Amino acid sequence: MLRLDRRLLHNVDWPLLGAAFAIVILSVICLSSLGLGRGGSGLALRQLMWVGVGIGALLVVVTFDYRSFVRAAPALYLVGLGLLVTVFVLGRMVSGARRWIHLGPLTFQPSELFKLIFILTLAWALTWRREAQPNSRGTLGWTFALVAVPFVLVVRQPDLGTALVLLPVLGAVLVGVGVRLRILGGLAGAGVALMPIAWFFLKPYQRDRLLVYLDPFRDPLGTAYNVIQAKIAIGSGQLLGKGISGATQSRLAFLPERHTDFIFAVFAEMWGFVGCLVLIVAYGVLVLRGFEIAVVTREARGRIIALGITALFAAQTLINLGMVTGLLPVVGIPLPLMSYGGSSMVVSFMALGLLLSVRMRQFQ
Amino acid sequence: MDLDHESTARREAWKRRVLSLAAVAGIAFVGLLGQLWYLQVLEGGKLQEMSERNRIRIRPVAAPRGILFDRNGLALVDNRPAFTLSLIPREIDDRDTVMARLSVLLKIPLSELQEALERVPPDSFRPVRVRRGLTLDEVTKVEERKLELPGVVVEVEPQRVYPTSTFAAHLLGYVREVSDDQMKQGRYRRGDMIGQSGLERLLDEYLRGRDGGERIEVDALGRPVQVMRREEPDPGAQVITTVDRRIQEAAERAMAGRSGAVVVMDPRNGDVLAMTSSPAFELDRLAGNLDKEEWLKVIRDPLTPLMNRALQSQYAPGSVFKVVVAAAGLQEGSLTPMDRIYCNGEFHLGQWTFKDWKEGGHGHVDTRTALIHSCNIFFYQAGLKVGPAAIARYAEAFGLGAPSGIDLGGEKAGLVPFADGRRRVDGRKWQAGDTVNMSIGQGQVLVTPMQVARMMSAVANGGVLWRPRLVQRVERVDGSLAYSSSSKMTGRVDLSPIVWAFLRHALSGVVNEGGTGGAARIPGIDVAGKTGTAQSVNKSDAAKGQDHAWFASFGPAQDPEVVVVVLVERGGKGGQVAAPIARQIYQAIFLEKVAMVQLGEDG
Repeated sequence: MLRLDRRLLHNVDWPLLGAAFAIVILSVICLSSLGLGRGGSGLALRQLMWVGVGIGALLVVVTFDYRSFVRAAPALYLVGLGLLVTVFVLGRMVSGARRWIHLGPLTFQPSELFKLIFILTLAWALTWRREAQPNSRGTLGWTFALVAVPFVLVVRQPDLGTALVLLPVLGAVLVGVGVRLRILGGLAGAGVALMPIAWFFLKPYQRDRLLVYLDPFRDPLGTAYNVIQAKIAIGSGQLLGKGISGATQSRLAFLPERHTDFIFAVFAEMWGFVGCLVLIVAYGVLVLRGFEIAVVTREARGRIIALGITALFAAQTLINLGMVTGLLPVVGIPLPLMSYGGSSMVVSFMALGLLLSVRMRQFQ
Repeated sequence: MDLDHESTARREAWKRRVLSLAAVAGIAFVGLLGQLWYLQVLEGGKLQEMSERNRIRIRPVAAPRGILFDRNGLALVDNRPAFTLSLIPREIDDRDTVMARLSVLLKIPLSELQEALERVPPDSFRPVRVRRGLTLDEVTKVEERKLELPGVVVEVEPQRVYPTSTFAAHLLGYVREVSDDQMKQGRYRRGDMIGQSGLERLLDEYLRGRDGGERIEVDALGRPVQVMRREEPDPGAQVITTVDRRIQEAAERAMAGRSGAVVVMDPRNGDVLAMTSSPAFELDRLAGNLDKEEWLKVIRDPLTPLMNRALQSQYAPGSVFKVVVAAAGLQEGSLTPMDRIYCNGEFHLGQWTFKDWKEGGHGHVDTRTALIHSCNIFFYQAGLKVGPAAIARYAEAFGLGAPSGIDLGGEKAGLVPFADGRRRVDGRKWQAGDTVNMSIGQGQVLVTPMQVARMMSAVANGGVLWRPRLVQRVERVDGSLAYSSSSKMTGRVDLSPIVWAFLRHALSGVVNEGGTGGAARIPGIDVAGKTGTAQSVNKSDAAKGQDHAWFASFGPAQDPEVVVVVLVERGGKGGQVAAPIARQIYQAIFLEKVAMVQLGEDG
C-alpha cells in the first residue's frame, strides 16, 4: 500500500497542483512584502516552512489509499472530538477564544484538522451499510448526530467561522448523495427558524459583527473598522494595483489581521483587479478540478471525499473573500493556501493529498 | 473491490447533481469578481482617494472631570493637560522588542508594561494607558524614537491639579485609576480615573462625564496631520460645595505641623465652611504612579494621614462636655445660675479623691464662673446632682452618640455612656465615680469633631441640629441641575430661651472675661467658646502634654455666623493650644472687621 506505482503517478492532477502552488507562491510574496521595512520577512519564511511541512503531509496522505482513512474514520472522529475537548482544558485564550493547543513553541488548531475528519466521517456514515439509502431516516439521523456534537464544540470555542464552513460542506455532500431537496429545504428552514435562539448563544463581539454587516457605519470607531479599512484597501488597488511600496493601507497597519484572515485585502491593494483576477482564476481552477474529480470517480466513498473537500475549499474561499470584500459578515475564516497560519496550511495540503489520492485511484 | 456497480442512470444523476453544485460555486466566483470590479474599477478612484487621505487612527478623548467650587465660585480643584503614555496593542508588531526598548528608555519595569498589555485583547486598537503624568523630558524621549516604537503613543489628557498637594485632601478626596476590584462592578472601563475618597468618590457619577473619541489622520510615519472627526467628550458636572476656600486655607495654615482636625460650620444652616484633618495625604501623589511599597508606606504611616479625623476619629470631649451638663442641669432645675461652691482643688467621694486641673482650686465659683474657668470640682458636684440619665439624655439630644449624617462615608458615631441600661460599656456596674468622670467629659464619652461642631451650632442658634451640608448643588455643563440639597434640620434641643442666653453669655466669658479661652480673644469680634483638655484613651499617652486639646466656639456671640471647632491630638491644654488656632481662623474669617477695628485703635 505504501508504494506508489507508476500508474498512480500517471493520474496525478497537475492542473490542480499547479493552481495550488500558484496560490501558495502569491501568499509568500504577499507576506514578504508586508515584512519589508518592518524588521525582516519572518512571516514569509515561516509560511514557507509550513508549506514544506504541508507538502510532506500531502505526500504521506497520497501514499495511503483513501479508503483506509475512511475505515479509520470512527477512530479519527473520536480522536478529533478528544482534541476539541482538550482545547477547552489546555487551550490558551487568544482574543477571547480558545482555539489553539500549544505544543512547545508551536500552536495547533484542532478545529482545522477536524474539517478533514468531518469529511471522512461523512463518507463513512453515508456508506457504512452497503445498501445505505441517503434519504432514509436512519442514515440522515445518524449522520446529523455525528455532525452535531463537534459542531456544538466548535461553536463554543468560539470559532464561528469553522462552524459556518462545515455547514455548506454538509449541504453539498447531502445534495451530492441525492438527499431530496425537499428534505434539505426543510432542514434549512428549521435552521433559519432557530436563528433567533442561536442569537442568545452568540458572544457579544459576534453579534456586533453581524450587526455591522447589516450596517457598516453603525460603529465606525469600533467593529466596522475592519470592514471599512479592508474595502478601502481593496478599492484603492484599482485596476493594476499600487505595487508593494505604494500599499499604504496594508503597510501602515491600518488593516487588522492583515497577514491572516484579511490577507486578500493586502493582495488586492498591491496587485489590483488584474492580480485578483489571476488569484481567483487559480482558486476557480482548483475548485473546478475538484468537482471534476468528484464527477469522474465511481467509487462511493471517493466521490463523497472529493465532493466534500472541493466544497470545503470553495466554501472557505468564497466566505473569506465575501467577508473581506464586504459581501458577508466578518467571521474568522482563513483564505486557504493564502492566509498565514500553520494549521490551516498543513490541513489544506492534506486535503489536496486526499483529493489527489481519490483521483489517482479512481479507476481501481 | 468497488462497493457499487451502479447503473448508468445513477451515475448520470450523481454527475448532474455535482455539476449543478459546481455551477453554484462558479456563479459565486463570478459574483465575487463582479464585486471586485465594482470596488476596484468603478469605485476605485474614490477609495484610492480615501486611502490617500483616510489614514485614520482612533484615539479616545478623555472627558475632563467636573470641577469643584467653593461657595463663592472659587475653584477647589481644577484640571490641566497632562501627558499619558499609552500602547496600541494592534500596532505593536514585535512586542518583546518594543517593550524592552520602552522599558530601558523610560525606566519603567518590563513587568508593568507586560501586565498592562496582558489585560486587553492583542488585536485591540484602543490605546492602553501605561503611565500618566510623563515629564516633558520623557515625552521628548518617546517622540524622538517614535520609529523604533510602533504602537507607542503619548496622549494628552486632563488631569487634576490642586492648589497645593494636600489642600482639603480629606474633603475632596483623591482620584486614581480604577482598581481591579472596582473593575468587577462593571461600571468602569480599564484606565478610567475615578474618585476614591471624599467628595470625588461621593459624586463620581456626576464628576466623571463621558469620554469622547477622535479619528485622526496620520502621515506615513504615523504623525498626526489633522483631526477627521471628533466626538466631543461630555465634561463632568460642576459641583458647588458649601466650603469657603479662604476659611479652608486658613484652617489648614493654622493646623500646619499639628495632628488633629478643624470643622467650621455655619450655625444658621449647617453648611460646612471648612473641614480639615491633619496630617493630610498628598492628593497628587496618590493619583500618580505609586508603587506597592509607597502605597504601603502611606497606609502604615503611624500618623494615619488617610483618616479623616473630623469624622472618623473619636475623642473624649473633656471640658467641652460641661456645656451639656450645664444645659441639662439648668433646664431640669437641678442646677441654677446662683449655685455657688468653694473650690479648693479637691473633691472627695467615698474613698476616692478627684482633683481639679488647677492646683489649689478656683476659690468661690458659681455656675457661670465654673464654666468660664472650667472648674472641675463644681461640675463633679453638678453632675451628681443632675444624674447620669439626664446627662446622657441631653448629650443625645445634642447629637452626640450618633453619626451627624454628613454625606461622606465612614463616619463614626461616638459614644454616650449610660444611654441605654445603667451599666458601663465594659459591663461593670455604674458607679457614682463614673458619673463624676462623665460630668467633665472623661471616662467613656467619645465624640468626633464634627459632632462637637453640630452641638456648638445648636448652642449658637438656639437648639437646631442641622445635617452637615457639604454640597449645595451639582450643575451639568449646559447649566441644568443634576443634584441639589438644601439645609435639613435633623434634631432639636428644647431649652428655655433663658438657658440658651445664659450658656451663650457664659461661653463668651470663657474668651472675653479672663477664662480658659482667653487666647482666642480678638478685639472687635465677640468669640464665645469652651476649652477642653481630654485625656487620651491610650494609657501610654497619659503623660503630661499628651492630652488632646479642644476648643469649641462660635462667633460673634450675639449673632453667631460661624462655629469653629479645633482639636489638636496630643497637643496639651485646650486653652493654650487649640484656642490660638481658632483665633487665627476667626481672624481670617472676619478679616475686614478685624482690620477695621485695628485701624480704629491705631487711628
